[in-house]
Amino acid sequence: MGLFGKTKTSAPAKGGQGTAFIGAGLTIKGKVSGSGNLIMMGRLEGEFDLDGELVISPPAEVKGEVKAVTLSVSGAVQGTLSARERIHLEKSARVQGTLAAPRLAVEDGAFFNGESRMPPGPQSAASAKRAEPKKAAAGKDEP
Amino acid sequence: MNASVPPGSTSLVSRELLIEGEISGEESLHVDGRVKGFVRLSGDLFVGAGGVVEAEVEARNVVVQGSLAGKVTARQQLEIQPTGRFHGECTAASFEIREGAVFEGTSRMIDPAAAKSGSRSAAAKPA
Repeated sequence: MGLFGKTKTSAPAKGGQGTAFIGAGLTIKGKVSGSGNLIMMGRLEGEFDLDGELVISPPAEVKGEVKAVTLSVSGAVQGTLSARERIHLEKSARVQGTLAAPRLAVEDGAFFNGESRMPPGPQSAASAKRAEPKKAAAGKDEP
Repeated sequence: MNASVPPGSTSLVSRELLIEGEISGEESLHVDGRVKGFVRLSGDLFVGAGGVVEAEVEARNVVVQGSLAGKVTARQQLEIQPTGRFHGECTAASFEIREGAVFEGTSRMIDPAAAKSGSRSAAAKPA
């Protein structure tokens, strides 16, 4: 309850579309996709593909592939976690599987069994993209 | 762990979200986004004004402000509000369809006495 309240107050700053919430009593088998922020406390067998912030808090149990922009885990996950910006494993997190994010934080007490990869972040990719067309345009103008 | 779950809790599928698959559980669900597949709830299903549900649904009460298509069973009531659209096959103990709503499909009533005794025994279980 306390956590839900906390996240709710910080959510409206991020566009205020309403944070989706999957309660502890729900089980989903399948795929959850889309944009916006989501607080997950239920069970999922399948896939998350979220263009936003995903918070997996206890008593959540997630099995499968999880993709989001930022991922904060304090529940249990078995599978692949990947975030475009960052992954944060809090001290009550229990993760078994693969992590992939340009930024990673793991708190003391978190359980992590598996593999982690750190691909280059979205900022460096975006700045590289932005720099390239500029160069090309400049090259065109010069001669 | 699950014992700490408040039984009256409502989950929310927000506007930009799509869930494809099977959703089941001991709570209510509010859908402003999209849901495709199966929904089985001990609580209620609310389809908000922008919500689109294409699914086989079983819930206690089903309230439709958006769009619902599929085979629907409401153990208590199916309510289609003026902005709501329903296409499919529904079974319910009682109906309320407001003027302006769209209802296309078939309807079948559950015997309310049987439904009531069923819900009473279900309510007695957790205690």
